[in-house]
Amino acid sequence: MTPPSQSRRGFLFRLGIGLNVLGAALVGIPVVGYIFGPARRRTDGQSWIGLGPIGAFPAGETRLATYENPVRVPWDGATAKIACWVRHIKGERFQVFAVNCAHLGCPVRWFAQSRLFMCPCHGGAYYEDGSRASGPPPRGLFEYEYRVRDGALWVRGGQLPTLSRPV
Amino acid sequence: MTRFITAAFAAMLALAGCDAVPGRPRPDARELAPTEVMAFETLYARNCAGCHGQTGRLGAARALNDPVYLAVAPPERVRRVIATGVPGTAQPPFALSAGGPLTDSQIDVLVRGIKDRWQRPGAVTGHQIPPYDGGRAAGGDVGRGRAVFASACARCHGDDGRGGPRGGGVADSSYLALVSDQHLRTTVIAGRSDLGMPDWRGDGGTAPLTPQQVSDVVAWLVAQRRPVPGRLP
Amino acid sequence: MSARGLGPVRSTLGWLEERAGLGGAIAPALDHPVPRSTASWWYVFGSATLALFVLQVVTGICLALVYVPSAEGAYQSLLYLNFQAPFGWFLRAVHFWGSNAMVAVMTLHMIQVFLWGAHKYPRELTWIVGVFLFLCTLGMAFTGQILRWDQDAYWGLGIGASIASRAPGVGDALVSLLLGGPIIAGRTLSRFFAVHVFLVPGILIGMIGLHIWLVLRIGINEWPMPGRVVTRETYRQRYEEEVHKDGVSFFPYAARKDMVACGVVVLAVVLCAVLFGPFGPHGVPDPTLIDTAPKPDFYFLALYALFALLPPWTETVVILVGPVLAIGALFLVPFIAGTGEKSWKRRPVAVLGVLVIVLTVTTLAGLGVAVPWSPQMEAWTAAATPVRYVKGRTPLELQGALVLQNKQCRTCHSLGGGGGRRGPALDGIATRQTRDQLIRQVLQGGGNMPAYGKNLSPAEVNALVAFMGTLRP
Repeated sequence: MTPPSQSRRGFLFRLGIGLNVLGAALVGIPVVGYIFGPARRRTDGQSWIGLGPIGAFPAGETRLATYENPVRVPWDGATAKIACWVRHIKGERFQVFAVNCAHLGCPVRWFAQSRLFMCPCHGGAYYEDGSRASGPPPRGLFEYEYRVRDGALWVRGGQLPTLSRPV
Repeated sequence: MTRFITAAFAAMLALAGCDAVPGRPRPDARELAPTEVMAFETLYARNCAGCHGQTGRLGAARALNDPVYLAVAPPERVRRVIATGVPGTAQPPFALSAGGPLTDSQIDVLVRGIKDRWQRPGAVTGHQIPPYDGGRAAGGDVGRGRAVFASACARCHGDDGRGGPRGGGVADSSYLALVSDQHLRTTVIAGRSDLGMPDWRGDGGTAPLTPQQVSDVVAWLVAQRRPVPGRLP
Repeated sequence: MSARGLGPVRSTLGWLEERAGLGGAIAPALDHPVPRSTASWWYVFGSATLALFVLQVVTGICLALVYVPSAEGAYQSLLYLNFQAPFGWFLRAVHFWGSNAMVAVMTLHMIQVFLWGAHKYPRELTWIVGVFLFLCTLGMAFTGQILRWDQDAYWGLGIGASIASRAPGVGDALVSLLLGGPIIAGRTLSRFFAVHVFLVPGILIGMIGLHIWLVLRIGINEWPMPGRVVTRETYRQRYEEEVHKDGVSFFPYAARKDMVACGVVVLAVVLCAVLFGPFGPHGVPDPTLIDTAPKPDFYFLALYALFALLPPWTETVVILVGPVLAIGALFLVPFIAGTGEKSWKRRPVAVLGVLVIVLTVTTLAGLGVAVPWSPQMEAWTAAATPVRYVKGRTPLELQGALVLQNKQCRTCHSLGGGGGRRGPALDGIATRQTRDQLIRQVLQGGGNMPAYGKNLSPAEVNALVAFMGTLRP
């Protein structure tokens, strides 16, 4: 039979390990959840955003529009603002493109004269309907879902468009 | 050695504290947003030099560094052309409201800068300048215009504007399709002195064109417009 | 100072030593014998890198006293540092040039160590820890570039997110993890601040300690002699013999050169700081100002160039698999060639490998500076038609020159040296292409050129080819 002091020492040792494992788990699980929280896919990131009355977008032209991202924190400053290209085809037919190039996300610029979007980084070019014209982009421009309600243009957005999650 | 190091260190500290250090950023070196640039030179070089030439002359488009042109063209028209462009021609709109890159005050800087730099008050004294406005509305007569062309322009631009030894053809249907009536009128009045084309006063061989003659010759040129046969893929 | 004057100093030090015993702990490290051959100028890069790291820590802490890690305030605080805080611009400049120098000197250290065979038995672990240090330092460089919260930082993050998004399956989650939210904004900056200021420096300090511990424990790599082959059985014994036979104590015999090198690199950084000043911040980080052409700092220019030059269909694979293979190869180096010849004179493959990598990276970085593939977005209104192509042209040809400007051809095509270099220069185009070839190329595009058929009227095409027909040398 083990002397009582021996078994008490063994118990204390195991208790010490157990308590620390418990503590590590109680702190560690929330820490992991905290760090990796943003990585969980959230569907509420997408919402309808007003871009203003459609009168601001002359038919047949493509104009830069800006909006405040719906998901934001008060200290975002100017970075909460997002720009997008609005192409008014005619009537209530629009195309709204993200400014981010489909290649590596640089801001594409619209050139009304040649009717092309061009990217300053690696030279991607897109036609006015957003389809790829030349250069390294693997696809056309990212396009927002849109709708016209009471004479105003709305788009569905809220996330940085990338190849794995186009708008 | 120690003394040298101490001296070098002290000198460095003193330098770092004062403005003489080349690396110290100057407050005016702050990068401006494109819409904050208000210097005429920068605005002109970025937005105008491509077509109108680095020095305002010898560009593919109208010379702006041209006292005769500036005496003819009213500043508010220059402003409108910059802001909203001339549809159907190579002059694009520059105002933000028209999809361009410039704010209204930046356009004001351009208009004022062009006048201040390149206008010379005595450029056309002693002559009555034909009015800037014209085109079709100026009541020119095509028949008379043909005669004016023959006497005043054909020497360089060839019979009926088909091109001559000293000047290219102006009755070319592609050329006429790409320019406005006002462009024709402005060019007849102000010429392209940088490229050797005289203004409405001619090059001394003939009498200056009267305002009516200017309208007539422009009317004749406008009447030469023809549809350009397409060649699409 | 007289010996009498030193008395109080000695007794104070003695008092401290009796209690802390630090001198006794450090002395063996300083006095440890090293092969005489290693007291060489070639062996100073490691110490120089450490000196630069210390410089980065000191200046970094100072900058953190003022810097505001919030998307709203960061840019303002950088301007404050540049223009108002006393010596703020100087500290920013030293931190920037110090980071450049650290990457550069560390790379030299790595190349030297590899060519001298120091990754071989028994120093494999030292090499592996070194590779971690290399990666952490590059991580510091990238995150530091983000903390300079300007347009380049904002769009640089966009590039980073776009690369991450290409990872199959987890791309989306990686992007959100990187940005800390759905877009590049306040939470992104906070994240990068914590990584740059706490996480990676902490790892770096621990790893540097381990790296130095390993160097002290195993001994500094002796100067390699051709023909002295490393084997697991004999190496350590031979090293001990060499150190006993012809060793010197590290301090001061070898440390002298290290000290000089440390001083030189720090002074070089200070000189750069005083001469060239701080870097940026460039434009305001406002995502709606899109007139910008973001460019990475020099350590990532080679990567930036690679992304432009890869054929699109290879891109995702190269972007995702390339770094894994490259880093994996670095870790595996001591296991692939852990024994055998140490001298670079008998390791042609190793020397060739280093040369190829160095040449590739510098060539790519050079291209990254010149950016021949980047369109010149302002050329159409800023790059004047050369005067020699204006004089003597007909009205139609002049209109053609205007079409060339107005349709943004010069974004990619240069004329008289002005304009983009993405497409061929148009000088002398009339001698290379016929009128019909020009028309077909313009209308149908092809060869990486968009088709302009829908955007040009017949008159514009006529004018354009009339003008291009005059472009002869």
